[in-house]
Amino acid sequence: MNQEQFNDRNVSDDGYLKVDIADYPTTPWGRFKRVVDRTFKLELFVGLWVVLREMIKFDIHTVKYPEEKMPIGPRYRAVHEMKRLWESDTERCIGCGLCEKICISNCIKMDTKIDENSRKEVSEYTINLGRCIFCGYCAEVCPELAIVHGGEYENASDQREHFVDFAQMLTPIDTMKEGKQLEFEGFGAITPHEDERVKKTPLAY
Amino acid sequence: MIKFFIDSKEVTAKKGESILEVARREDIYIPTMCYLPKATAIASCRMCSIEVQGQEGFVLSCNTPPVEGINVITNSDSLYHERQNIMKLYNVNHPLQCGVCDKSGECDLQNKTLEFDVGEQDFAVRDQARKKKKWGIHTYDPALCILCEKCATVCNETVGNEALFIKPGGYKSHIEIDLSNCIQCGECISVCPVGAMASTDFKYTSNAWELDKVPSSCAHCSSACSLNYESKDGTIMRVTNESDFSSLCGAGRFGFDFENRVLNKDENAFNEAIESFKRAQNVVFSSFITNEEAYILNELKKKLGFNLVNEDARLFGEFMKNFSTTASESLYNATIDDLKISDFIISIGCSIESDNPMIKFAASQAVKNKKAWVASIAPVVEHDISNVVSQYINNEVGSEEAALAMITDTFIEDKASQQTFFDSLDLGYLSGESNISEEELDLLKTKFARKLNPILVIGEDVINHPRAKNIALLAGYLQKSELFKVIIVPPSTNTLGVSLICDLDKPQDGFSVGYNAPADFTLSAKGSGDLDMPALNQQEGTFVNIDKDLVVLNAAIKHHGYELNDIANALGVESENIIDYTSKLGFKTIEFDDLDNYYDNVGNAYRGYKIESKKNRKKATLDEVEELAEYNGSVVYARNPLRQFSSFTKDCKQLDAKLELVGSEQFALASKIKSGDHVKFSVDNVEFSRVFKLDKHMKGTVAYNPTFDMDLKSSGYRYNQVKLEVINE
Ligand code: SF4
Ligand code: SF4
Ligand code: SF4
Ligand code: SF4
Ligand code: SF4
Ligand code: FES
Repeated sequence: MNQEQFNDRNVSDDGYLKVDIADYPTTPWGRFKRVVDRTFKLELFVGLWVVLREMIKFDIHTVKYPEEKMPIGPRYRAVHEMKRLWESDTERCIGCGLCEKICISNCIKMDTKIDENSRKEVSEYTINLGRCIFCGYCAEVCPELAIVHGGEYENASDQREHFVDFAQMLTPIDTMKEGKQLEFEGFGAITPHEDERVKKTPLAY
Repeated sequence: MIKFFIDSKEVTAKKGESILEVARREDIYIPTMCYLPKATAIASCRMCSIEVQGQEGFVLSCNTPPVEGINVITNSDSLYHERQNIMKLYNVNHPLQCGVCDKSGECDLQNKTLEFDVGEQDFAVRDQARKKKKWGIHTYDPALCILCEKCATVCNETVGNEALFIKPGGYKSHIEIDLSNCIQCGECISVCPVGAMASTDFKYTSNAWELDKVPSSCAHCSSACSLNYESKDGTIMRVTNESDFSSLCGAGRFGFDFENRVLNKDENAFNEAIESFKRAQNVVFSSFITNEEAYILNELKKKLGFNLVNEDARLFGEFMKNFSTTASESLYNATIDDLKISDFIISIGCSIESDNPMIKFAASQAVKNKKAWVASIAPVVEHDISNVVSQYINNEVGSEEAALAMITDTFIEDKASQQTFFDSLDLGYLSGESNISEEELDLLKTKFARKLNPILVIGEDVINHPRAKNIALLAGYLQKSELFKVIIVPPSTNTLGVSLICDLDKPQDGFSVGYNAPADFTLSAKGSGDLDMPALNQQEGTFVNIDKDLVVLNAAIKHHGYELNDIANALGVESENIIDYTSKLGFKTIEFDDLDNYYDNVGNAYRGYKIESKKNRKKATLDEVEELAEYNGSVVYARNPLRQFSSFTKDCKQLDAKLELVGSEQFALASKIKSGDHVKFSVDNVEFSRVFKLDKHMKGTVAYNPTFDMDLKSSGYRYNQVKLEVINE
């Protein structure tokens, strides 16, 4: 399905359908009349008839969720994903802690340690999606384009605290090896003019 | 007094003050990168440049004293460009790794780079391959180093160890270490303005902004240095301090994980504790305690009538009482800060190296900055501090009284007031017995000439001495004579406080309750007793430190069990919070919450308040020096290795805890043992089993015996003749 129809919000007047509804009754007599009208006019069946008619016509406008899903825009902010580096397949996250700091609902929790190669390593990383308000600040602040908002919005669970941890968010290594990691133009990604904004740090060699 | 102007504001400088110091005092900002207020100006960064109106060129404000009448300009376009260029140079090839760097968020380079708007770089140099180094508690990353030299300066001047130095080589210059000189104090880590000198244990575990900072005081020795516990999720991650102005030794900086973790209140044990208090004959406690808790114990004593026992503080109190009769005032008159600017130091009966590390730090600064003469009178030669001590005077074990008498005789000119004492001195005999020669005293006297701030340091050996009384009288007499200022080193963290607050008794037979001391029923902050108590990093309260300052302790970690105040409440000494007692201690009536705990812009410490010395009108005469008991054969000296003080430091994971009897070849020979032997011996009826380690640098027949594993260290004379028994399997 094309998504333009959803993104297009320029609705002109012609598209509107004016509905003719009488004002609500204000006097007791008026209210009494309405009760009598509703009781004896069988308005309910008018509505039921519309449903039945549409059913028989088989001209359905609703999306048959969950078999059918609406496509979502790149700037949609759903469950986070952790990206890997194209060059080395290793995780992009350097454990700087900025996402944890900036998160306004305090739902990111991480621990870091020094690894065997004397580099900083993320040892624990969870996002409490029950608290996350999907504001996108984490993705925006991440200096490594590591954390981004993906399109996965189905996170119903029987647990109130539904955590996602690092491993779940990280691009699976097989997907990475096949070169199928998706880059987003969406939240947290570099903006189109980034090239012009990068500043000089010359190397003499 | 020099009058001059900074940015047209009239200011005055004291003698010896630099322009920068005056500016800081007057709250005028001059940026710096290498300035370290507590040490001599390094002058390596040039950031502190200023202009003098009407003169060409820049002047370094950090090491230039002002001239009468000049107008200093702290900011101008050319100064801004000069400073911006310095920052540009610092940033050449500086790794772009703030994202992982421990210093990020509190990094001077980061801050100043932003302040001077260095957004891009127009020049470059070929970078060098630089290897990270691991030096025990600290890790050095030369790629991050900006060569400000602060680390080498503290190591040489403040600490006095000369471990760090600059390996010159133009762009390849870097910091190198002589690891055998390093005492693992971490001062270098604390002053490094960037992430180059980092704590090995802390590295990459947290970011500066995640840590909760709790300002407190170190609980390990009588200096009670100012520190901040920095914790995350209820665990202390590191200790920092106001490194611009104050210092910490390795125990304070790395020995922070001694908290007592309990999950809940043990009601049965608590009720047992109440019953035990009710029927106790003795309540024994150690001096690792706050003033408030000591006060509570004293109140309980008044109510329940038990003997309140703390031998360490009782002997110290006794010593101070005798001291005050000749000194005419209740307290000694020198502080650690006085020691730093002293030019002549005599220490007697003190392990300068390890009893109270700040004594050694201060002596080092006195030597470096004031060319001080430091004489150590002790039966042992502490070779590790030979660059600080100018003259070792080796007295025979036990002859400290004679030694101090000879010192008194050497320096006091007007002997009239204690004529009988001086007449009774048989110098030839004393010299023979104490093994201190006339030449040694003559040298001391020669060096004393024209000195302005001489200080006498009195250590624990003589406080617990069989002849402590007369030694105290002599020390008091020397203070009164105004020839010397005197500083007495309290043996444990709050010995002085306890001795001032509590009315202490000698122990008697019968049921006893111990607080951090072994007894029939023990309250323990180590978690090894019958009822768990909060450790000193889990409590609010105060200490009285060696400077006679009442300093503040704040809780860095929650304690979920009972505390002494709960017991007191159950026994009828009632108060909602333990800190309600702070204003009732008998010093000043200031509430705990109103006590200061900070340093101002120029480094004046506002930590609690000073305990005033009281007048003492009693007059005492000095006793005759008594004949000496002889110590032959193997003698052990109760002395802890550096960074170890008590069972609280023992289990800290960053402090190594070697329980070794360390002695010289001569000691080994005399005791017929060899390095690696397992030996057994007993001191004051306490049995020790130690591994003997030979130290080639040591001399004499005295070996060091660590006592930090004891629940309560002995308060007897620290030297003891022992019979060693080899128990190798
Ligand atoms: S901001 Fe990015 S790089 Fe930093 S910790 Fe979060 S995910 Fe990792
Ligand atoms: S030393 Fe400072 S500027 Fe350098 S990487 Fe670390 S935080 Fe960044
Ligand atoms: S830890 Fe202390 S002794 Fe060791 S290098 Fe650093 S400052 Fe010097
Ligand atoms: S390690 Fe730190 S303190 Fe030492 S010279 Fe380098 S930047 Fe300065
Ligand atoms: S152990 Fe003593 S010298 Fe060391 S930091 Fe603590 S109080 Fe200061
Ligand atoms: S502060 Fe004066 S030269 Fe660095």
